[in-house]
Amino acid sequence: MRQQYAWRSLLLNAFLAVMAAMIVIQIIRIQTSVEAEKFREQADQFAGFYKTFYPQRGEIYDRNGHLLAGNQIVYEIGVYLNNVRDPHTVAMALSVNLNRNFDQIYSDILNPPEDIYYLVIEKFASPDVVADLKKLKEELNQSSNPTPSLFGLEFNPRLKRSYPEADLASNLLGFVNLEGRGYFGTEEKYNDLLAGNPIKIWVPNDPNRVTEIPRIPNGTSLILTINRELQDAVEDILDQSLLDYGAQQGTIVVMNPKNGEIMAMASTPRMDLNNFENYGSIFDNASEYNRAIGLPYEPGSVMKIFTMAAALDTGIVNPNTTYLDTGYIQVSGVGIKNWDENAWGAQTMLGCLQHSLNVCLSWVATQLGPQSFYGYMKQFGFGYLTGLDMAGEAAGRLKVPGDADWYPIDLATNSFGQGITATPIQMLTAASAFANQGRMVTPHILYAMLRDGIQFNVPPQHAGTPIKAETAATMSEMLAVSLENEGSEALVPNYRMAGKTGTAQIPTPYGFYDFSQTNASFIGWGPVDDPQIMIYVWLERPTSSIWGSETAAPVFSVVAQKTMILLNIPPDNIRQIMTSQ
Amino acid sequence: MKSINTLNHAYSQAPWRIQRQWISVFLLTVLGFAIIAALYLIITSRAAILGREVQDLRSAIIETELTNANLQSDLGHLTSKNKIKIQAYILNFRPVNPEELEYLFVPGYTRSTGAVLATDPELSPSTVSIPFKYTETLLDWYDTQMQMINRGSR
Repeated sequence: MRQQYAWRSLLLNAFLAVMAAMIVIQIIRIQTSVEAEKFREQADQFAGFYKTFYPQRGEIYDRNGHLLAGNQIVYEIGVYLNNVRDPHTVAMALSVNLNRNFDQIYSDILNPPEDIYYLVIEKFASPDVVADLKKLKEELNQSSNPTPSLFGLEFNPRLKRSYPEADLASNLLGFVNLEGRGYFGTEEKYNDLLAGNPIKIWVPNDPNRVTEIPRIPNGTSLILTINRELQDAVEDILDQSLLDYGAQQGTIVVMNPKNGEIMAMASTPRMDLNNFENYGSIFDNASEYNRAIGLPYEPGSVMKIFTMAAALDTGIVNPNTTYLDTGYIQVSGVGIKNWDENAWGAQTMLGCLQHSLNVCLSWVATQLGPQSFYGYMKQFGFGYLTGLDMAGEAAGRLKVPGDADWYPIDLATNSFGQGITATPIQMLTAASAFANQGRMVTPHILYAMLRDGIQFNVPPQHAGTPIKAETAATMSEMLAVSLENEGSEALVPNYRMAGKTGTAQIPTPYGFYDFSQTNASFIGWGPVDDPQIMIYVWLERPTSSIWGSETAAPVFSVVAQKTMILLNIPPDNIRQIMTSQ
Repeated sequence: MKSINTLNHAYSQAPWRIQRQWISVFLLTVLGFAIIAALYLIITSRAAILGREVQDLRSAIIETELTNANLQSDLGHLTSKNKIKIQAYILNFRPVNPEELEYLFVPGYTRSTGAVLATDPELSPSTVSIPFKYTETLLDWYDTQMQMINRGSR
């Protein structure tokens, strides 16, 4: 009996073992079958999806926290091809709302490129369009019929650059194109900082793999040194000046000469940065985008302050050194005349600057000699980039002995600003030595960076000491006195300012100067006893008067008055009382 | 000595005892596996739920960041200089003339040099720390418990 049970048990065990083995074999067969591969592929399609993560581009603020460049939501509209039930309706809805060709969309959905599961139809759809499409999709979803349906249509929000101030400071901000790349100014210079890197990654649907999705860091936000109100005021003044003096274009830059912070930088023309596609119709070439940094020109008599500073610094002249001006000087066989072609008689160095005498300054340059003169010019930074943190800066040209196109007469003409080119920002950088005890500052537009809620302020940098502190003080005093003696239109009521005009004839492509057209310039700083602002004005081809003293100088005065008010700089007498208290 | 050997032999021959032992071992093993499987299921299901919540929260964070950026931009447009200028003119404000200005000496006042837009780093999402109890090991937990007991006994 026990033997009988044993057999039964053995048979049952064997049967179960065979069944188990068959199950295992079947499992292996199914796993390795041809269909299994298809099932795996289908499963993979639903296991996750590729998604491009666009980090938020950093914002740009003025120094008081006003937003200059931000981001606005737009939508990427796409179609998950495997989910589309009714391609006709999808194509129709998209063509109507996006104003696009129906046949093209319909064809793209039916005949997509190989290995494409998600087809992008529109990258920058407005929220209004998407709201309409979402509403339509919702209504069709609620219907009991399977068609019409917008199933498979997806809307992914993303950010697009937005400029709340439109054309304000457009020349220094630059712009961002649809691909997210910055062009010109701050947007280009700090593109890597502002833009994080877009990353396309596989996003698994499996919640257990959620940690595999990396957190994409946003771009760094920037705080600029400019003051929005001052920038606006300076742009208004510049626009009005072009009208008043009939100038073709113009530039005004306001800088803090002690630390190099650019407080306002206005240039013409400007453009609404939200419509950057108009760039080609507004600007002929890239150097015109920001004339203050990208367009070197012959500055004319404002260069005389550097010639005189070099001479004072070496000690070959002092403010009271007398020069007998006969109205003519010959240098290397070439004659030089004064702006009015008159002889001014015995003049001190102060008089030479006050009356802007070419002959006198040419004599000063010859006394210095080429080696010393060009040595100082190089130390002032002419011919070199200033190190300004904006894209598109040009270095200008300083011909020096040894260059193929340098001639001995250049020593004389360079001394009063002909045959040498510089940008307004180079002029300001060089002149900052006068307002800063002989030390030049590196101009900069970046005040601070913001990352992860932490603010990193940018320290000022010095760019060399071309002249002694005493020379700087002497030059400031001479230029303040010369303005006062002249009764210049550049004078600012209640503030003692130093400055110099410049009127430069414009060289033609044929190597001659056009005597009918000029570049009118003025550089000035103040208050003289404690310089807090330095302003450069450049008006191109003014028609009401060709002279800088009658065009650029009064513009300087208006800008300086406005700057003093907006920056809360009290008049000299009040400031001195406050300081004494 | 012989009788003892016989007794041992008789005891080991009882088949029902051997079967019961095997069945017990088998059932204990099955029970063990069942407990482990149940624990595994509970933990994996909870992990999956939490993973889904993390996914939702991440989506919400991204959506909130986008909305914040958009609102920031909207605020920028609403407070742009053109809008402010228009409002100022509507309210009969006008640019001040230099002679109308009056400067007052305020002891201790220092002029602002620039904006401070830094937020409190503690509020930044990137600095949120995971509570210790989610990262402590069993030994850490034991050590903490022992320290608490010791402190309680003093």
